[in-house]
Amino acid sequence: MRLHHSIRDGTMITRTSKGLAVAALLCLAAAGCTDPTVAPKSTVTSANIFTSRDSYEQFLARIYAGLIVTGQQGPAGNADIQGIDEGFSEYLRLYWYLQEMPTDEAVIGWNDPGLPDLNTGLWGADNSMVNAMYYRVYFQVMLANEFLRQTVDDSLDARGQSDLKDQVHQYRAEARFLRALSYWHGIDLFGNIPLVTEADPLGATPPQQSTRAAIFDFIVSELGEVRDQLPTAGADTYGRATAGAVDMLLAELYLNAEVYIGTDHYADALAAVQSVIGSGTYSLNSTFRNNFTADNNLSPELVFAALQDGSRTQTWGGMTFLVHAGCGGNMSAADFGMDYCWGGYRLKQEAYRLFDTANDGRAAFFWTSGQTDSVIDIGSFNSGIAAPKFTNKTSTGADGSQMTMIDTDFPIFRLAEAYLIYAEAVVRGGGGSRAQALTYVNDLRERAYGNTSGDITDAGLTLDFLLAERGRELLFEARRRTDLVRFGMFTGGTYVWAWKGGQAGGVALGAFRDLYPLPANEVIANPNLTQNPGY
Amino acid sequence: MLRVRHCLVALLATAALAGQVAAQATGSIRGRIVSSDAQRPLSLVTVTVAARTARTDTDGGFMVSNVPAGTQILRARLLGYREVVDTVTVIAGQTIDVQLTMEAAAVELEAIVAIGYGEQEKRNVTGAVAKVGEGEFNTGRIISPQQLIAAKVAGVQVVDNNEPGGGLNIRIRGATSINASSEPLYVVDGQPLSTGAGGGINAGRDALNFLNPNDIESITVLKDASAAAIYGANAANGVVLIQTKRGQGRPHLEYTGSTSASSVTRVPSLLNATQFAAAVEQYAPTRVDSLLGQTTDWYKQIEQSAFGQEHNVSLSGAGESNTYRLSLGYLNQDGIIKASTTERLALGINYNQRLFSDNLDVRLDVKGSRTNDHFTPGDVLGNAAAMAPTQPILDSTSATGYWDWNTTNASPSNPVASLNLATNNGRAYRSIGNLQTQYVFPFFQALRANVNLGYDVGKSERQIFNPSNLAAQVRQGHGQLNITNGTVANSVLETYLNYASAFGGLPGRIDLTGGYSYTQQHSDYLTYNATGLASNLLGDNGIVPADNEATNQSVVDYRLISFFGRLNYNIADRYLLAVSARRDGSSRFGAGNQWGTFPSVSIGWRLSDESFLRNWNALSDLKIRASWAKTGNQSFGDYLQYSTYTYSDPLAQYQFGNQFISTIRPSAVDPNIHWEETRSTNIGLDYGFANQRISGAIELYNKETKDLIFTVPVAAGTNLSNYVTTNIGSMRNHGIELSLSAVVKQSGTGLGWTADFNASHNTNLLLSINPSKSVSKILTGGISGGVGNNVEVLQPGSPINSFFVYQQQYDSVTGKPIEGGYEDLNGDGVINDSDRRPFHDPAPKWILSHSSYLTYSHFDLSFTLRAYLGSWVYNNVASGLGAYQNLTGSAMPANLQASVLETEFVVPQYYSDYYVEDGSFLRMDNITLGYTFTYRGQPWRVFGSVQNAFTLTGYSGVDPTAGLNGIDNNIYPRSRTFTGGLSVRL
Repeated sequence: MRLHHSIRDGTMITRTSKGLAVAALLCLAAAGCTDPTVAPKSTVTSANIFTSRDSYEQFLARIYAGLIVTGQQGPAGNADIQGIDEGFSEYLRLYWYLQEMPTDEAVIGWNDPGLPDLNTGLWGADNSMVNAMYYRVYFQVMLANEFLRQTVDDSLDARGQSDLKDQVHQYRAEARFLRALSYWHGIDLFGNIPLVTEADPLGATPPQQSTRAAIFDFIVSELGEVRDQLPTAGADTYGRATAGAVDMLLAELYLNAEVYIGTDHYADALAAVQSVIGSGTYSLNSTFRNNFTADNNLSPELVFAALQDGSRTQTWGGMTFLVHAGCGGNMSAADFGMDYCWGGYRLKQEAYRLFDTANDGRAAFFWTSGQTDSVIDIGSFNSGIAAPKFTNKTSTGADGSQMTMIDTDFPIFRLAEAYLIYAEAVVRGGGGSRAQALTYVNDLRERAYGNTSGDITDAGLTLDFLLAERGRELLFEARRRTDLVRFGMFTGGTYVWAWKGGQAGGVALGAFRDLYPLPANEVIANPNLTQNPGY
Repeated sequence: MLRVRHCLVALLATAALAGQVAAQATGSIRGRIVSSDAQRPLSLVTVTVAARTARTDTDGGFMVSNVPAGTQILRARLLGYREVVDTVTVIAGQTIDVQLTMEAAAVELEAIVAIGYGEQEKRNVTGAVAKVGEGEFNTGRIISPQQLIAAKVAGVQVVDNNEPGGGLNIRIRGATSINASSEPLYVVDGQPLSTGAGGGINAGRDALNFLNPNDIESITVLKDASAAAIYGANAANGVVLIQTKRGQGRPHLEYTGSTSASSVTRVPSLLNATQFAAAVEQYAPTRVDSLLGQTTDWYKQIEQSAFGQEHNVSLSGAGESNTYRLSLGYLNQDGIIKASTTERLALGINYNQRLFSDNLDVRLDVKGSRTNDHFTPGDVLGNAAAMAPTQPILDSTSATGYWDWNTTNASPSNPVASLNLATNNGRAYRSIGNLQTQYVFPFFQALRANVNLGYDVGKSERQIFNPSNLAAQVRQGHGQLNITNGTVANSVLETYLNYASAFGGLPGRIDLTGGYSYTQQHSDYLTYNATGLASNLLGDNGIVPADNEATNQSVVDYRLISFFGRLNYNIADRYLLAVSARRDGSSRFGAGNQWGTFPSVSIGWRLSDESFLRNWNALSDLKIRASWAKTGNQSFGDYLQYSTYTYSDPLAQYQFGNQFISTIRPSAVDPNIHWEETRSTNIGLDYGFANQRISGAIELYNKETKDLIFTVPVAAGTNLSNYVTTNIGSMRNHGIELSLSAVVKQSGTGLGWTADFNASHNTNLLLSINPSKSVSKILTGGISGGVGNNVEVLQPGSPINSFFVYQQQYDSVTGKPIEGGYEDLNGDGVINDSDRRPFHDPAPKWILSHSSYLTYSHFDLSFTLRAYLGSWVYNNVASGLGAYQNLTGSAMPANLQASVLETEFVVPQYYSDYYVEDGSFLRMDNITLGYTFTYRGQPWRVFGSVQNAFTLTGYSGVDPTAGLNGIDNNIYPRSRTFTGGLSVRL
């Protein structure tokens, strides 16, 4: 019986195996049975995105947008960088914090991680705002690098898009300008940082640390190469990088060259601003405030700006932050064309005292009602005079398109600063004409005072005056830290201001704080990096 | 689709080849079943032989005919009695006689357990497997299937969020992942659901709520990796096998219905109107005028006594060669916070048909349901805590009729207005179905072929509407309408062969299984978000013109292909070996990384059958087990391996000239992303004494997960963002589990009592974030208060999500915490982030539970006690509202949490360990009392139960089970529920 069964079982096994083999063969023949690959559908990859002829413009727009938006959803969502609240992660908002809060100009009472130590200058290498700024700089750099890698002529030819070359050449120039702009911010804030270009492949080993001087040269050389390939300034190219923007960026570099590379370039700075001024493309806006209104895109004074739109380019950073956070206390949000005050930054008393508030029109928007003159309590918005310089009202008093999101563009370079750089370069021995310098300075003061009563004389045209005048003209425009460093006053004890060094009356700061630290995590992640001294 | 069709053709060919039918000789079995204690006849015993079923009559007699000749296994089952398994030899054309006795056992793990692609006798299992049958399920108002086994299995933590049918999480032996899911794989009637918690899509509270708990017969948890490894790719977090009820016996109708009432047990401790007014007078004197002198308890305004009802009807039965069960369930449960409800309508069909002399077995299981969830809209709980108690509820002069602070700046708003004006609704439709065919080769009965075809489709709709006149919307947003619709369609094809027999000249038996599985999933999500609504008239029923609109669509495909095999080798039930391997290919990885192989091996040795122990009569079973396995985890987002470009939405465009350009952004990518792997070892011991009156298991395990899929910071200049999702880091969970089940007193004439005890201890440790230690820590655990404040940390050497806080200093005289007074732990003279340290973590170190099942005459009583030891909770309500600055920090004063009276903090001290509290507790999860009687010859039962009868805890907040992340931030309060019901049978 048993034997009989096993024989039968044996035949069955053979038959079944045959069946299985057939099934397996059929199954394997259909690749779908063994190939788990599925291609993405509603997202596009580098393999197919550039078949779209619009993609080059869309990619370039994203590099510009990197200055103002925080992710692919407005005002927040699908964030570009992580490790920080998305609203705080916006490029110009972070840049503003780092350039304004440790200086004599701004104070913010919020307790968000990293902010309190910016008021006092006592940040550490793990400060989340400082870290996020570093990663914003490299986010821009890496976007630009990727754009440059994906848009070489050979690739265009291979995609059958050779006719796009002229257009794409201009886009590439713009991307290189934006990369240079971020590298300027990078060396200004952090000193020696890695120089990563399109020649460095993605995902490779961590980059080597470069030097301020090498990157300085890189920026100068890049700007020289792209200047003539950029769009021509005009209403159609408002917000785009132009020759004027290149000249302004060069002027900033040269003006601070002594800080960056130890040799001065004041003559070059002077030449660069002369080129902007002499181009005739820009002119002072007759009304100072109209550079900071919801329709400041109409101002003939803006050389370069990051563009915002309440309906289409939404962000919690940039002007959304500057307009909302400047408002608080017993101010009415509606007076600024918005729904809601955040009660953020105010003036430190030292900046407030730079102004002849009775006569200087640049102080006309200061808000003193319910505010104390001095910053006694950092945490209270009522402590310190408020200076809501930026508004979502238009020059004619109309509201912006949205009450929460702001229409006002963020001015990055404007002609007034070119005037001041001219004057400073002259005073610092960069050549040029003192009379012309005086004229430029008084042009700004006459606009501010409405008449010549604020004019200065040649004797008044000193470095001290120019630092103060920059404080008045460029208040809250994210220049102050760089200026104070250039004047040797940011650290040390020659000039102290409220809460400098953590004391209400201000104390000296260590000279190493002229530079921000490289992020603590970054120094570990990239073994090629040496931390800035002192941190 | 073409490819799927090819696969089908291939399989049908197999079936055709296999489908050779032959007539077969049969015989009959006749018998009688009595109880062991009093020798009284037992009726309604289910007797199964060779897929034939019969039930005993009132005299205990039964008859099964058409049983294939030969040696057959006969099983007799009755609730409350230990299952009897016997071998009978059926002779063609004859009727053999069988006499059986059954032993009462209030609760007994049934002898057969599902193990994935098959089942096995419980006593021969070599992995760590726990089965919970219907008799042991938690009772009362059970909305989600996972609640059935809370506190019933050692090593299994069921975490709910207190809402009616709220989203549940299950952790089997701790979390194994950080960025991927740590939820187990659910397999319903043999069909794996898509990965993630409950799989599928979920517009309601819990994806698994589509399954009516009343339809569930048993839940089996595959705890150790060797048991789960047959599900390789998705098994790292354990596997939960859900078996639904099937028809048996004569056709009959069953109805079970219940109604319930729930109430709030605890709300946050907030200042009352008098205390609040005094605080304002002292700390914000300029704001005294804004107080209106009312005494409003905002929490009283938003809570309610919640009613619930549930009705289940089923029609089931067994014929000569088929069984069937049709069920209809309806549930409607209100939440204890107004406006929150859940409703479910569920249908189920189980049909089983045997053909060709029972050689072909066809099973159809279909479940379909609609769940309808209403969520508490807006930030009702947060506002009920923060709204000043001195202010009125109504204001006839306001736009909404509700009183609110008249300010456009940040301030709490009226929670009652949100409750009544805003809506937040989710609807989910889901159906799963599975057609399983098993063919026993007639002339080679050791071989069986199985083909399963399954589907899982779901559609979800979520609508959130906040009218523009709501105070918070007047301040910001001006009305919001958010619609998220999604559909998911998942199809599964599985085919496997099983061979179980003695083999060649080898001693013992082998049980060999080998198969192929193909899963394909297509999902489509559409989202619409609008703010600045032109009108509130349509609510969430229509789209009106809006200032800002963003629409997004996302289509995602996923495929998983697997080959699997398992060998069980059993020598005389004494020496046991199981080896399995599964090879999975997943679409979630790029070329070269798609395939992963997941092997397991386990051995068992039944010592009690050895000669040296055989004479120890008290010992009825002793088996030691050991296992090792590697499992994988891939339950995270799709397409991570591709460098994708994302289009900006219409609100994040950039202006070029007069045009707004939609931008594209490349994502940071690690194209080499690969499987997360967990290697686990388990050593177990099964024991039984006094003829299994006392039985249980001891398990020791160690799980090490490496290549954790983790979103981590990367060096600037190496990728397209500062974080990239990649394989980095490792973690370990190790622990011990003890379970004991004791029949304290045998039922019979008097009292019967079975008591179960479980204890489990798990230690989690993050071993590394990456090998080169590029990052020392990653902050997690976002809290409310400030922006971007994180209170937990991932730091090697500490459990994941340890709290990351300062060590609070206390005044030596008053004992009060000193504001801003923290220990300078690194001794650098400065108190900064470097002085925060990992301090406890939310996961319980010990979970203890006890269930008792008592019977006396017609009465039954059961209860379940549960305790957590060493679970810690961060009281975010206290840290956020327990500071006087809340009176001045926003435009209008906010109410304070009562701890401020003790701490007198002015500025919130978010990072103080003062707020990290011991969340250990003891809770009476449920008590049920039932009375069974016979009506018209059928068993009827009335019952009443209390859930969360009491909780003993030292935790000061709302509920020590504050969810997985241990952050109590205005969580939904816990309810106490009284349920009364009736079950009848016709």
